[in-house]
Parts: sequence; C-alpha cells; structure tokens
Amino acid sequence: MGRIPRSYLINRLITLLLTIWIAATLIWIIPRLSPVDPADIMLGRMAAGAGSVANADEMLAQLRASFGLDQPLIVQYFKYLGNILTFDFGLSTASFPTEVSSLIMRALPWTLGLMILSLIITFVIGNLLGALMVWEHSPKLAKVAIPAAMVFTSIPPILSGLLLMWIFAAKLQWFPLTGAYGLTVEPGWTWDFVQSVIWHGTLPAVSIVIVTFGFWALGMRGLMITVQGEDYVTLAKAKGLKNRYILYRYMIRNAILPQITAFALKIGLLIAGQVLVERIFAYNGMGKLLYDAILDQDFPVIQGISYVIILMTALSVFLVDLIYPFIDPRIKHEGS
Amino acid sequence: MTDKPVLTLKDLSIEFPTPKGVVEAVKALDLTINPGVRVGFIGESGSGKTTTALAVMRMLANPGRIAGGEIMLGDTDMRALDEEGIRKARLSRVAYIPQGAMNSLNPVMRIEDQLWDAITAHEGTTDPAELKRRSDEALSSVGLPDHVGRLYPHELSGGMKQRVCIALGVILTPELIIADEPTSALDVVTQRQVMHTLQEVQKKIGSGLILIGHDMGLMAQSVDELAVLKNGVLVEHGTVKQIIEAPKHPYTQDLISSVPLVGGDSFLDPSGKTPSNRAGAEPLMEFRDVTKRYGQVTAVHPMSFQLDGEVPKIISIVGQSGSGKSTMGSLMLGFNPPTEGQVLFEGQDISKMSAAQSLEFRKNVQAVFQDPYGCFNPFYRVDHALKFPFKQFGLAKSEAHTQQAMEEACDAVGLDPSLILRRYPHQLSGGQRQRLIVARALMLSPKLLIADEPVSMVDASLRATILKNIYDLKDRYGISILYITHDLATAYHVSDYVMVLYHGRVVEAGPPKEVIGDPHHPYTRLLIDSIPWPDLNRDWGTPEEADRAIHMLDTGQVGTESIFRGDVPGFSLKVA
Repeated sequence: MGRIPRSYLINRLITLLLTIWIAATLIWIIPRLSPVDPADIMLGRMAAGAGSVANADEMLAQLRASFGLDQPLIVQYFKYLGNILTFDFGLSTASFPTEVSSLIMRALPWTLGLMILSLIITFVIGNLLGALMVWEHSPKLAKVAIPAAMVFTSIPPILSGLLLMWIFAAKLQWFPLTGAYGLTVEPGWTWDFVQSVIWHGTLPAVSIVIVTFGFWALGMRGLMITVQGEDYVTLAKAKGLKNRYILYRYMIRNAILPQITAFALKIGLLIAGQVLVERIFAYNGMGKLLYDAILDQDFPVIQGISYVIILMTALSVFLVDLIYPFIDPRIKHEGS
Repeated sequence: MTDKPVLTLKDLSIEFPTPKGVVEAVKALDLTINPGVRVGFIGESGSGKTTTALAVMRMLANPGRIAGGEIMLGDTDMRALDEEGIRKARLSRVAYIPQGAMNSLNPVMRIEDQLWDAITAHEGTTDPAELKRRSDEALSSVGLPDHVGRLYPHELSGGMKQRVCIALGVILTPELIIADEPTSALDVVTQRQVMHTLQEVQKKIGSGLILIGHDMGLMAQSVDELAVLKNGVLVEHGTVKQIIEAPKHPYTQDLISSVPLVGGDSFLDPSGKTPSNRAGAEPLMEFRDVTKRYGQVTAVHPMSFQLDGEVPKIISIVGQSGSGKSTMGSLMLGFNPPTEGQVLFEGQDISKMSAAQSLEFRKNVQAVFQDPYGCFNPFYRVDHALKFPFKQFGLAKSEAHTQQAMEEACDAVGLDPSLILRRYPHQLSGGQRQRLIVARALMLSPKLLIADEPVSMVDASLRATILKNIYDLKDRYGISILYITHDLATAYHVSDYVMVLYHGRVVEAGPPKEVIGDPHHPYTRLLIDSIPWPDLNRDWGTPEEADRAIHMLDTGQVGTESIFRGDVPGFSLKVA
C-alpha cells in the first residue's frame, strides 16, 4: 500500500510500450500479407463508377505514392511507427481522401459515451444480480426472477435491438428509431443537444445492457459461491454482523476482485462497439465505422481502429495493474 | 459468580436430511456447562462435535436442522429466538472461534476494522476514539501490540491470526466461548502460546469455554471437563482427571492410547529384515554446501549431508513453521534450486539433469504432502491418480498388470481396493486419501520418499496407522525416507536420525533416543516441552518461559553451537 514505487511504474510502462509496439507491428504486417492492393481496389471502384478509367497505370502509380506504397517496406514500416505516435493512420480508401484519424475522432466520442455508460451500468447490475442469486437472504422473487432474466443474455443483440425498436420506437414512439441525435438540433454543449443524445442513446444502451449483464452475473455467481464458503464469511456470521453488511463488506467486496480485471479487458474491446447494435440503430460510432470499413476493404481504417482498441486495452490493463494493490492489499507492487 | 449454568443442552438431536435418508448427526445429547468451566469436546471427524457447537450458535449449515431438545444459553432459549435475536446473541453472549483461523479474517479489511465492525454491530458505537481504545485493549489482552490493528490479515503469522480471533471472541465479554480446533494449524510451540492466551482471557472474563479437538494430549493440558463424542453420541463425560486416569468407554481408551509419546512403547513393529533397494557407489541424496535464501531471508544456512541409502534409513527433519524444513524438502525434490551449493541425487546435480534423467529422478523420488484434500484432482476417480504416473513412467505392462499393482499397493497400506479404487476423492476420508497417496508413491518403487508433515491434517486416531504405512516403505520395501515434521513424538518412533532445525540452522542432530529422548539444545527442549501429553501431572510451562527461551535463542545468548549427538551408519551431516 501507499505510493507506487518508481521502479514498478517504469517496469509497467516498458511493458505497456512493448505491448503496443508488438501489436502495432502485427497490424501493420497482416494487411501486407494479404494479396489485396488498396490502390487496385480504389481503381476498381472508380472503373465500376465511370465505366472505364483513362491512363490507369499512371493513376495507380499516383495512388500508390499517396499511400506511400512505392517506398521500400522498411521505410514504410518506420514511417508507420512514426505516424501512429501522432495518431496519423493515413487516408481512408473508401472515403478518399479523408484522413482515417478524423473519421475515428468523429466516431469515437459516440462509442465511448454509449459503451462506457452501458458497460458501467451492466457491470453494476450484472454483479449485483449475480451476488443476489447466491446470497442466502435474497428475496425469494430474486432467486426466481434473475435466472429467468438471464434468458435475454442468450438472445442475439440484433434480435433484442429490433424488438426494442419495434416496441418502444415504432409502436409506442417513446424513443426515436435511429441516429445518435435529432436532425433538428445543432451539435454543441446545449441542453437541447444533450437531451437529444440521451433520448437517442437509451434504446441502444438498454439493448446492450440486457444482452450483456448475464456475462457479469454468471461470473459473479461463481465467485460468490466460492466466497460464501470461506471461513471469514462463517466468522462474520458468528460475529453477529448484519446480513447486508456481510453481503457488501465480506462477500461482494472479495468476490468482485477478479471481475475488475475482466472489466479492464472489456474496456478495450468495447471500443469496437457492439457492431451490430450500432448498425441497427444507425448510431454513428466506431462499431459502424468498423463495419463499413470491413465491407469496403478500407484497410487504413481497420488498422486505425485496431490500433485504438489495442491502445485502450493496454492502457486499461496498465491502470488495473497500478490500482490493484489498493483494492486488494494482498497484491503488492513489485519492488515495494 | 453464580452457579447457574451458562449452557444447558437437553436431549439435543440434530439431523441432516439427505437424498439417501436422514443422517442423525447428534443424538439425544445432554450437557451443562458452568461459568468459568472449560469443557473439551473430543472425538474424530464426523463425531458431531462441531455440529453441536454450530447448533448452539444457531449456525447449522443447510440442510442441517435441530430435530429436538433444548439449547439454553443462561435463561435464553436459543431455539425460540428470531433471526435478529440470534444475531444479537452471537458474539455478545456466545462467541465462536472457528477452525482454520488461517482464513477466518477478511483479507481486504484491516484487523482493527474487523474488531470495530463487531462492536458497532452490537452496541452501535461508532466513535473512532472509543473503538480504537477497545480494539487496542482486546489486542493487548492476547499479547499483540497496537500496530497489529493497522495490518491486513496476510501480514500476520498463523499464531497471530489465531490470537486476533481470540481477541475478537472476548471483545464483548461473552458468557460462553466456543473454540473449534483453534490450534490445529499451528506448530507445537505456537500452539502452547495460543492455548495459554485463550485460557488466560477466558479466566479473566469468567466465561465458559468449549474446546473442540481430537488431540487427547492438548485436552489434558487445557480443559477441566471432557465430553467424548462418537457418531453423534456422548459416550463419556466427566472431569478430565476421571477420564484420563480411568477411561470407562473403550473408545476413550483408544483416543488416549493413540497419542504417541516420547519414550514408551512404539506403535511400530519392525520386520527385522529390512531389504536394501540399491547398491551403488554414489550416495542416494547429497547436499553439498547448500544454502537457500529468499531475498534477505536465509531459509537454509550452509549445510552438507550424505544419505548413502544402501541400507534404507528414515531421516527426520523437525522444527517449527519457518524453520526451513519444508524448504529442504522442496530443494530435495528439485522444485526450488539452491542459492549456493549443489543438491545431488545418485551423484547427479538435480538442477543439471537431462530430460531423460529428470524423468527417472521424478520416478525415483516420490513425495507425500501435508494436505490429502489438495492432492487429488476432484474430477477423476482416485484410481486415476494411481494409474496415471504408473503408466506415465512406463511401468505398466498391461491393464491387468496396472490393476494388480494398484491392488497390491492398496493392500500394502491397509485399504480394500474393491471399496476404494472406483470412488471419487470427496467420497473418501482424509485418512483414506493420505494412505492412497502413500500407495501411489509405493507403486512407482521409488528409492527415496520425501514426506512433508504427512499426518498433521488427519485425525489423531489415524496418525499411527499412516505412520506405520510409511515406516513399512522402509522396513518392507527398502525405501529411504526424509520425514519432515513438527511432531517430535512421531519422529522419535519412526526415525533413525533426527535433525532439529531452527531458523534454517541445524541446532541438534543425532539418533532419536539421544536428541529427543534426552535433548541437550535449549531449542530442542523447548519443542519437547511444548508437546501436550495426556498426563495431568505434567507442567506445560508458562508462556513467559517459552517467550524467554525464544528470546534467548534469538539473541544468541544460548544455543549458538550445533550439537551433534552421535552418528548412524550411512548418513553423515556437516554444517558450516
């Protein structure tokens, strides 16, 4: 406990940078192993649009030059490494010549907002329900209702999303069908805009929560069963502590620890978003961007998104490594 | 002090309904406990002692239920209380010190928080200064300094954790304390200190005490009355003097005679024709100037020994927790490389073996560990644990051969193969599992067996049997054994040579008759004095004496020299 020793911090930082470097190298190599040439694809697309392309060879060379593909591989690699440090992933092939980074920056806040909010809600609800499934003093209703509610977890998000849309947007018209905010409001920090965002975000968020809370609930249930049999829980009862206090301070407090690690791993992945949820609700986040990029074989965008996912995962694991000793006193920062 | 009993059990019956029918765990139990009196509940696992205690706490695990009878705590009918009433009675009127104090404290809360939440739950006090005063007082009553309150459980030793549990037990001055095998996980020296602490605080608050256990020696040194339970029936109850001097029930007699004593008759019966398993120029196991350090701590100080193994021997390594004895075991098994020096098996440095040599080494050196529960994969039937290594090491000629080998090994340890082999680990008792582990080792016909506290987790009544099984490995199968233990009485009986370890140094070594029968080193004496014996006239000493002895040893005022008490052929030991 106490402060984080410098040697540990440096050690973890080196690991963090190494992880990012190795992953970044992999996502650079993999597309280059593919026989697909982005310049070819673009030219193909132009040809399909215009019927034919004049001086195709010249165009091809020009396009290759604008992607830097005419340079030796090693130069391309080091340029790439330099570029990703400044989040420069080059130009999108599908929406040429928009920069990948600006596409990502446009989509990222929507996904971060929606996903982080729904992840936190899911984490809290899922773990609480998982704990209640095991706790001996849970209301009888909870023991029946929670396992029943888990049925939702087995519904594919695409289906539950459509169901929610049909009931609450199409039939009841409580929420809008699609989009991230209304067409009539101007984006900005105005109450109208925020209201519109919340209103538009509710259905996608609920859809994510109901299909993913089961993951946390089932994990928590298993952990709670183990903790329930621990001697310290027996002693807590023998101490005559109140049931609720035992539940929070002795049982959940211990059972939640591995879930926090899982939470950190999820943060990275959720950047990719619930691809299908965003797609159904036409929510302009990272999931939709990724989905479109895959359809269009837009490698620079796929690469950029992969990089952001890696960065977020590595960063959140790094943060958990730093805070874990504060939430579990048995874990020490090495070197302290 | 009134003479009104603190606890009256009348015709108490406890049942566990199972799919196969109702199991009567406790049958028509009658017992009264008066204030200030210490009562021992003794019996083997499954005799109903813990079940009775939990029924008093109203903490029976599902599906257990009280089928009939009365539980009166003073004037309070515990069976008539509602849930809130039961909660309030716990700790403030009847405190429970659970078995396995190693894990009884919440790992993520500071010690003092765990004392405070108890006070707050019963008295509603939340004033930090008052809570701090009360927790410091409770900790100092069990001999722990104030700063312990700021620590987390993992920062305490086993003995300290057990003291914290005792501090917790007396913090609200209950009428009755129930201590469920409070010292079963501790070594003898710590056990004696913790038992003294428990007795002291119990006397101070004048409460009744129920001490649950299976060690007749410990009972003789700790309680006033004894209640002997067998299969849920109270078979004998009386003062400890009556019961130890003139036990009436045969089961009680068994319990008393099962305690191994230093001196006296051995429970072993040597065959007199010990075979030799090997002939070779190289010693079987050798330490060459071995040192083991973990960071700043030296677990094993420079030491050399040679066990030539031509005639099988049992070498005992004895000492308390932290003495370095288990480290020596893991060095010999090659789980852990020495910091300096070499560990050699038949002349081969075990850290430099080729893959083939390493496999041969694994077959030749087998181990029996302390915890017979953790050694089986719960997923497989137990015969898998026996079969798998046998086939893995290429010993099996055919299925029939494997089956025959398993049956022979089971017979050798006194288990009926037809009853045991097709079962799952959870269907067997701790004693049965430990004997299977011995059988498993035997099947591989090893040259050396490392037995690390093989009997400390099994019932006292079974210890002799399992030790006999292990002794037979030497006596009938020619296997040399390193027996690692804190129990000097058993080491006295089974071994040919004893090394006493203290903080990683050999302090005394030689044949058991000399070292244990007539100890010269103050540390060996301390260990022997700490053993509880079923002898009421014996003075178990005071904790001050023990503390003083340890202090003198630690400050180097006494016992800085290793004492060698004679040699046995085939084994030599040298310390730097």
